[in-house]
Amino acid sequence: MNIIVLVVIFLLMLFLRSTLLAPFVNPGFSPTVAVGFILIFAFLVGKKITRLNLPQITGFILAGIFCGPYVMKFLSAGDVVSLQLLDGLALSLIALTAGGEMRLAQLKRDSRAITSILLCQTVIIIAGFVAFGFLGRPIFPFFSETTLAQGFALSLMLGTLATATSPSTTIAVITESNAKGKYTDLILSTAVVKDFLVICLFAFTLSVARAMTFPGQDFDALFLVSILVEVGISVLLGAGIGGGIILYLKFINRETGIFILGVAFFTYQISHSLGYHPLLICLVAGFLVENFSSRGDSLIQAIEKVSVPVYVVFFAISGASLDLDALSRTWVLALVFVVLRAALKFSGTYLGAKLANEEKGVQKQSWKGFISQAGVALGMAVIIEETFPEWGGEFKALVLAIIAINQIIGPVLLQRLLVKVNEAGKKLNGRRPQ
Amino acid sequence: MKAIFAIGLLILISFLGARFFFKRKKTFLPLSYFFFSGLVYVFLGLVLGEKGLNVLSPEVLQGLNPLISLGLGWIGFLFGFQLEFKYIRKFPQKYVGLSFFQSFFLIILVSLSLFVLLRFLFPSQPVFLLYGTAVALGLFISLNSPSLLNYASPLIPVKGDYYHLARFLVSVSGFWGVIGMALVSSFWHFPFFEDKVLLKGLFFLLASSLFPLFIGYLFHFLTIRKTSEKDLLVYLLGLVFFTSGVAAYFNLPSLFVCMVLGMTYSNLTRIQEKIYPLLLSTEKPFYIIFLILIGALWDFSVDYKIAVLVALLFVMKILGSTLPMRFFGRILRFSFPLPSLFGFCFLSSGGIAIAFIVSWKLIYHLPLTDVFVSVALVTTVVSELLSPWFLKRAILRLDTEK
Repeated sequence: MNIIVLVVIFLLMLFLRSTLLAPFVNPGFSPTVAVGFILIFAFLVGKKITRLNLPQITGFILAGIFCGPYVMKFLSAGDVVSLQLLDGLALSLIALTAGGEMRLAQLKRDSRAITSILLCQTVIIIAGFVAFGFLGRPIFPFFSETTLAQGFALSLMLGTLATATSPSTTIAVITESNAKGKYTDLILSTAVVKDFLVICLFAFTLSVARAMTFPGQDFDALFLVSILVEVGISVLLGAGIGGGIILYLKFINRETGIFILGVAFFTYQISHSLGYHPLLICLVAGFLVENFSSRGDSLIQAIEKVSVPVYVVFFAISGASLDLDALSRTWVLALVFVVLRAALKFSGTYLGAKLANEEKGVQKQSWKGFISQAGVALGMAVIIEETFPEWGGEFKALVLAIIAINQIIGPVLLQRLLVKVNEAGKKLNGRRPQ
Repeated sequence: MKAIFAIGLLILISFLGARFFFKRKKTFLPLSYFFFSGLVYVFLGLVLGEKGLNVLSPEVLQGLNPLISLGLGWIGFLFGFQLEFKYIRKFPQKYVGLSFFQSFFLIILVSLSLFVLLRFLFPSQPVFLLYGTAVALGLFISLNSPSLLNYASPLIPVKGDYYHLARFLVSVSGFWGVIGMALVSSFWHFPFFEDKVLLKGLFFLLASSLFPLFIGYLFHFLTIRKTSEKDLLVYLLGLVFFTSGVAAYFNLPSLFVCMVLGMTYSNLTRIQEKIYPLLLSTEKPFYIIFLILIGALWDFSVDYKIAVLVALLFVMKILGSTLPMRFFGRILRFSFPLPSLFGFCFLSSGGIAIAFIVSWKLIYHLPLTDVFVSVALVTTVVSELLSPWFLKRAILRLDTEK
């Protein structure tokens, strides 16, 4: 029955967007039609795609790509931009969930493995990309057109970006799979912690790259300090908001869905406009509620009640925003980098897990959980484009193409891993047992 | 950025409002119900809007279009969802007849009398605009909301025939006004047709009725098998968003289109008990968002013309609701008399009227639209302030004396 509705709603949208009706439309409401359509269409595609043993979010992303500005054009570029208003809300909810899913005891237990994997991945990936940048200079025109210093800066940046994993995608796949267990905990914790390590690392490598590329410009240590201050204030803000949520859940505990939506939205917008890290704030808030109160379950349940439609639109829009033009221009180089990144992720994870004395399965398999890439890498590419206007545009196109590929294969690999290691479907009633 | 900030602000205010304002102690005192009705948020919207702090500037409001459209669709869906034939059939047909005659009489009375007054007050405006505005005010004034009776219910000691009839009438009377709006927005479609008005109007009327009917069937097919609450929320949000968006995209009233969607689905599905909690939990926050938005959209200018129109509109509402009551009672052969006093139960406009004002403002970008908004809003405020007093006079006496 769903497939019939899917086809019917698609044909309906085709008709609505036809030139026949163009004289009668009020374009101001185009995003409203788009959001309603994409919500239903992507959700049904996500449901269907699970029959192919693929995660729902791959369906949402593919539906977004299909309906987006490069294929069917049901969502214009303008629609996509106006619907990205939902990004903040979705990211905050995801970060709250991530914080709420992280247990102090479990973090303590896995701290050695997390640290080891993080360090090994970071060092190996950045070193690998820098080495590739030097070795590949004669082969790839993109590199050969730069000076040696620029090439180094470029490789350093690519390496830093390649280290990042998308916590939002990781959490969405884990939530959808109802996964629970060692691999789930390790991948989730590492992905979340890595997100903030990458932010700090990016500030450092950007300063190095600037000093190398622009003659006369010194390494900007203050820039790094300002990043650390931002992180510190974000943690404090997160603690304050977490405390507020605990008090609310303890003393009022009504209409929690709307309350959480309001908090998530407001936290994101205020912190973002003040230059703090909304993801870190929400993560700390969620972590605090889970670990320093008995209200963790209430928080997760409240989020789960309202989160599905937000996630559907979020991932569908992220699919629609994937730059297929950039992919078509740079797909060969992008594919090379995707393969290189995956190989380096495997090496880093393998070595890190081995050094932490993790079991063989973790050493060989858990790299699959670190492939997805989205928001943070995208944001960094934009900063690089602005900082290095000479080659930043081309660099951004390359990064967008790499993200497009990783964002499609990442969720599939993670879901397959969770099924393979028998952790999918282990959550009871949507919550992991204590 | 400002739009996002505004959405966050609206969500928080609406949440806090739903939490605190609707839980005040209930009395028949005018201000008590006024606060309960949430109309104070219109003034908050006015403060946040262009005429005040400009947080909700015209550009921000443009960015909030999807939210406004969803809100209109949601209220329309909820209203239509309650119109389940199985439930309506339980009431005598004369109840439906009375509801129709009451609304029809008010629409005609107000449209005609206000047309004359508008011609006198705005002589430079084209006649067709004056007539459109007069009809809009007629349709607006015919709308009633059950919220005052719901609010007053615990304060009414004897609940007899009058109470039950009044409850029925206030629950369904909005139907006729919204149907009227669909007729107007189809045949008086904006931007106005230059030729084949009747044919094109008919096309739009059919489209605005058949499209939601079709979507309602799709919704039913999607939920015909066992559906989880999470899936249901996605289908509900998606289809209401889509339907209201399509309506707004073609300058048709989302309120009507989603009402038809709600009616269709309500009469097809068997899972009403799963849908109601989803709808009702979000009703009040949506309503408050609406009140704030209409306050922000309000081009506040109360001059003598507005004051005269408000006074006449309110007097017409009282006269139109009370005078013909006895006559309608006789021709419909009610088993109990319908005194004029009974008409006092129908002076409150409520949420559906606010949704009507927003809908009209979104569709018609005309010189007299702001006059309509000002008159309708001030009338709503006046009627919400005075209607508890009128209701008390009527309902406490009628059933007790009977």
